[in-house]
Amino acid sequence: MPPIPLLKPLSNGISKDFKKPNVVTIDVGGQLFQTTIETLTLAGSNTLFSNLFNSSQPHKIPFIDRDPELFSVILSLLRTGNLPSKAKSFDIQDIVFEAKFYGVEDLLVQSQSNSSQFEPFDLEKSMILPLTGRDSPSAIATTPFGSLHVSHGSKITSFDWSLKRKSTTLTQFTAIDSLLSLSSNVVAAGATDFCGLQIIDLELGFVIKTLNWENVTKSGSTVQAIGTSPEYLFTSFESSRRNSNSILVYDLDSFKVVSEIGHNEIFGADLDSAIPATKLNWVPSLNLLMASGSHSGPSGISGNIKFWDIRSRNLVSEIKEKVDCFADITVSDTLSAVFKIGINSGEVSYIDLRNISSDDHWDCLGDSRKVMNVKKEGVGCKIESHGNQVFCSKEGELELWSEVLMGSSTSDKNGKEERIFKKNVLGRSKDIGGNRITNLGFGGNKMFVTRKDQQCVEVWQSSVRRN
Amino acid sequence: MEDEISTDRIKLNVGGKLFETTVSTLQSGGPDSLLAALSNRHIQSSSNPTFIDRDPEIFSVLLSLLRTNRLPSTSRRFTDQELSDEASYYGIESHLKSAMLPNPLSGIDASVVSTIRPASDGFVSAFTAIDDGSVWIAHGGQISVYDWNLTHAGTVRTHLDSITSIKQVTPTAMAAVACDVSSGVHFYNFANGRRIGSVEWTDPTDPRIYKARVTAIADSPDFVYSAFDSYHRENCVLAIDKSTLQVKSEIGRQSGNASKSIVPGNLTYVKDLEVLAATAVTSGAFGFSGYIRLWDTRSARVVWETNEPGSGRSSRFGDSFADVSIDVNELSMCKICSKSGDVAMADLRKLSDDPWVYLRETNPSLSNTSGSISNSVVHCYKKQVFVGRDGGLEVWSRVARNGGNDNDIGEESFRRNYMDKVQDSERGIISKIEGGGERLFVSREEAEGLEVWQSSVFSGAVLVL
Repeated sequence: MPPIPLLKPLSNGISKDFKKPNVVTIDVGGQLFQTTIETLTLAGSNTLFSNLFNSSQPHKIPFIDRDPELFSVILSLLRTGNLPSKAKSFDIQDIVFEAKFYGVEDLLVQSQSNSSQFEPFDLEKSMILPLTGRDSPSAIATTPFGSLHVSHGSKITSFDWSLKRKSTTLTQFTAIDSLLSLSSNVVAAGATDFCGLQIIDLELGFVIKTLNWENVTKSGSTVQAIGTSPEYLFTSFESSRRNSNSILVYDLDSFKVVSEIGHNEIFGADLDSAIPATKLNWVPSLNLLMASGSHSGPSGISGNIKFWDIRSRNLVSEIKEKVDCFADITVSDTLSAVFKIGINSGEVSYIDLRNISSDDHWDCLGDSRKVMNVKKEGVGCKIESHGNQVFCSKEGELELWSEVLMGSSTSDKNGKEERIFKKNVLGRSKDIGGNRITNLGFGGNKMFVTRKDQQCVEVWQSSVRRN
Repeated sequence: MEDEISTDRIKLNVGGKLFETTVSTLQSGGPDSLLAALSNRHIQSSSNPTFIDRDPEIFSVLLSLLRTNRLPSTSRRFTDQELSDEASYYGIESHLKSAMLPNPLSGIDASVVSTIRPASDGFVSAFTAIDDGSVWIAHGGQISVYDWNLTHAGTVRTHLDSITSIKQVTPTAMAAVACDVSSGVHFYNFANGRRIGSVEWTDPTDPRIYKARVTAIADSPDFVYSAFDSYHRENCVLAIDKSTLQVKSEIGRQSGNASKSIVPGNLTYVKDLEVLAATAVTSGAFGFSGYIRLWDTRSARVVWETNEPGSGRSSRFGDSFADVSIDVNELSMCKICSKSGDVAMADLRKLSDDPWVYLRETNPSLSNTSGSISNSVVHCYKKQVFVGRDGGLEVWSRVARNGGNDNDIGEESFRRNYMDKVQDSERGIISKIEGGGERLFVSREEAEGLEVWQSSVFSGAVLVL
C-alpha cells in the first residue's frame, strides 16, 4: 500500500478502490469500532494497528484489550488529526499513555503542541509551573515540540511536552548559566564559573561528555554561551584566567571539534579582543554564525557583533558597538534583521541584514535621542526573536515587535527601504508587570517566561487548542 | 497465535455494563484474586457473560489498572477508600497499592503533599515511620495509625498522659510506647486496643533502680531494646523478648554521672551487622557533648564508640555533634556538627578511629549560616541526608559522576539543596525527620500535625486563567 501523506487525512473514509475491504471492524474492550485501513495506517508503519490486519485470519474481528472510550479519542485523532472535545473529560496524561500504547504519540504531539499553532498576538499567561526548592531559574531550554528544561541552582527540571510530568536531575554545577537542548532528553549545560561544557542525558541522569577547550595557559575554560545549527554545536569559551577566548564548533552527533573560530589571546591594551562572545545565534539563510559580546570598560560599555562563516572560518562582517551598546541582542532570520536593546536608551534598534555592511548604523525604533542617555535603562532587558516577531522584556513587561508590511515600499534619503516595526505590550492588565524577566523561551505553541526571585516558570499560550 | 488470543477473550457483565477483556489481563491480578477465579470458571462454561453485581464505573477503573498498570484519571472520581474497598473485593489490592504508591523519594524534587492532622491533641509528641509508607503517631497519650495510603486506620488511647517514644514491634500490630515522665515501656496491641504488657527495669541487688523511665526504643527481629534511665541517672539498655515480653538481658549499664555515660536518647538496631547503636546528646553551657556506641548484640560487647568532644575520633575538635542518624539500609551514619553546622558521614562497615567524611559545600551562596542556628536535626534515608536547621529543610543528594554509581563517600560526592521554600521554614522549628517507604515525615515544634513530603512526576502546573 502506498504511504498516505500525513497532512491529508481521509475525512470521509471512502476510498476509490472498492475492491479492497477497506472498512475494518475492531473490537476494543468489548465495543466495536469501524474505520478504514487508511485511517489506521496514519498511525505509522510499525505500530499495533499495522500489525492488526496482517494476520492469517482476515475474517475475524481483531480484539484489543484496552479501554474503549480512550480508544475512541485516539481514533478521532487518527481521523481528524485533532483531539475531539470529549477528550477534555480525560486527563491529558491518560491520552498520552494510551497514544504511546498505540504508537501514535507523535500525532498527538503534532495536534497539541505544534509550533505552527504559536500565535504571538493571542498569547496569554495560562499556566505556572512550580519548581521545588529555593533556587530561582537561571536558564531555560526548549524543544521544538514544547518540552522544557529549567535549570535552578544545581538542578535541572525537565517538563514533558504536555507540561504535566516532570523530572529533576542534579548536576555538578552550582548554577547553570547556559542551557541548550540538543534532543528531547539531552542538554548542553555550561556556567561562567565552572569549567567545561557538559552534555547531560536528563533521562539517565548523567553526563555523557564533558567538552573542554585546551587553551594556551592550560587553565580551565568556562562557558560563556552555547548555540546550535542543524549540524553544529557552538560554544564560546573563556579561559579561567580570562586572558583568552574562543568559539569552538563541534559536530552535533559525535561532539568532536570541527573547527575553532575567533580565537583571541589578549596582549596589551587591545580591549576589543578581550570580549568573549556571550550570545551565539545561527542565521540559516546566510549560513553565518552571529557572535556577540560586550564589555564594561573605562569609556563605558563597548561590544562587538561578528558574523562568522563556519566553513572558511572567516570573519564576514563586524559591527562595533561604542555608543549605546546592546544589553541583549538577537537575530531574526524571517525578518532578516538584527535587533538589539540599547543599554543606555533601553530602546529597540535594528539593522537590516539583507545588505549588511560594516558601516551600517542602527535604526532606533523608539526615542532615538535616548541613545545618549546617561542612565542605563536597558540593563537586564532581554530580547529574543521567534517566528515573525521579536519579543523584548523591559523589567517585568513584555513587548512584542512585529513588522507592518505596507503595500508600497518607501525609501529614505539614502535609498534604503524603510521598514515599519510596531510594538505591543503583551498580556492583559492583570498579567502585566511583576518581577524582572530573566529568561524567554519558545517551544511548540508556547512561550516560557522566568522572573527574578520566582521559583516557577510562566507558560504563555494561545487560547485556541490549549490542553 | 491469533487463535489463542481470541479464545483468551472473556466477557463480563458488571452491574449491567458489558466489559470484554482477556483472561490474561484478569489473571494478572494474581492467582488468588476473584477475577482470576472467575476467568478460570469461564473457560469451562463460555456462553453468557459472567455477571458481577458491583458498580461498573469503579470496575472500569480497576480494569484499566489491570490493563495498563496505572490508575486512569477517572479514578479521581472515587475516594481512595472506595477504590481500595473495591480492589479488595476483586482481590487486587496489591495491584492498586503499587499503582498508588508515591514515586521514589528524591529530596531535590520533593514537596509537602499533605499534613496529617489528628482530630484531637494535634501536637505530635513522637512518631515512627514504617517501611510501607505508613506512620504511627503518638499525640496526647493516643496512638494513631495512618496506613500506606495515609488514611486514618485507627486510634488507641493509652494509659500514658504523653508518649515520647514509639516503635512498631514488627511484624505484629503491636506498639511499644514510653513516656519520659513515667516509668517503663508498654506494649499495646493495636488490633484490640489493649495493653498487653509492660516492662520495668528492676534490680534486686540495687534498690536505687526504681521507676526507671524509658528514653529510647529499638526493634529487632527477636528483641525490643529500650534504654532505661533511673532517677539517680544510672542507666542501661534492656533486651526484651518479643514473644514473652520479659527482660532477656541487660546491656551497657552505666552510672550516668558524665556526659559519656548518660542514657542514650536514641537506639537503632542495624540488622545486617547485628549491631545495636546508641546515641546520646546533651547540651549545656559549654556546648554539645555526647557519644555514639555500637554493641554487638550477640556478645553484648561494645564494638565501636566515640565521645565528642574529647576523643580523637573526630578531626573537628570542639565541634561536637548535635544530632546523629543511622541509615540501616545503606549502612551509613551521619552527624551534624553543633558549631559549624557541617554534615559528616561514615560507613558503618569501615568504622575506624576517625571515620567521618565531612561533606563539602561547593556553592558559595549556600555557605553555612550556622552561627545563629541552635536546633539542627539530621536523618539519612535512601542515600540522601536530610537536615533540618531551625525551620529550614535541606537535602544532601549524591551527584552522578560520569555514568558511575560508586557508593564510596567522598567529600564532594554529595550536593546540598534546599527542599523547602522560605515560607515553609516559617512553620516552626523542625523537631524530627524520619523516612518511611517513599515518604519523608517531618514534625515541627509547636506546630500541629505531621508534614508528609513526597516526590512526584506530576508537574503540578497551576492554571492561572
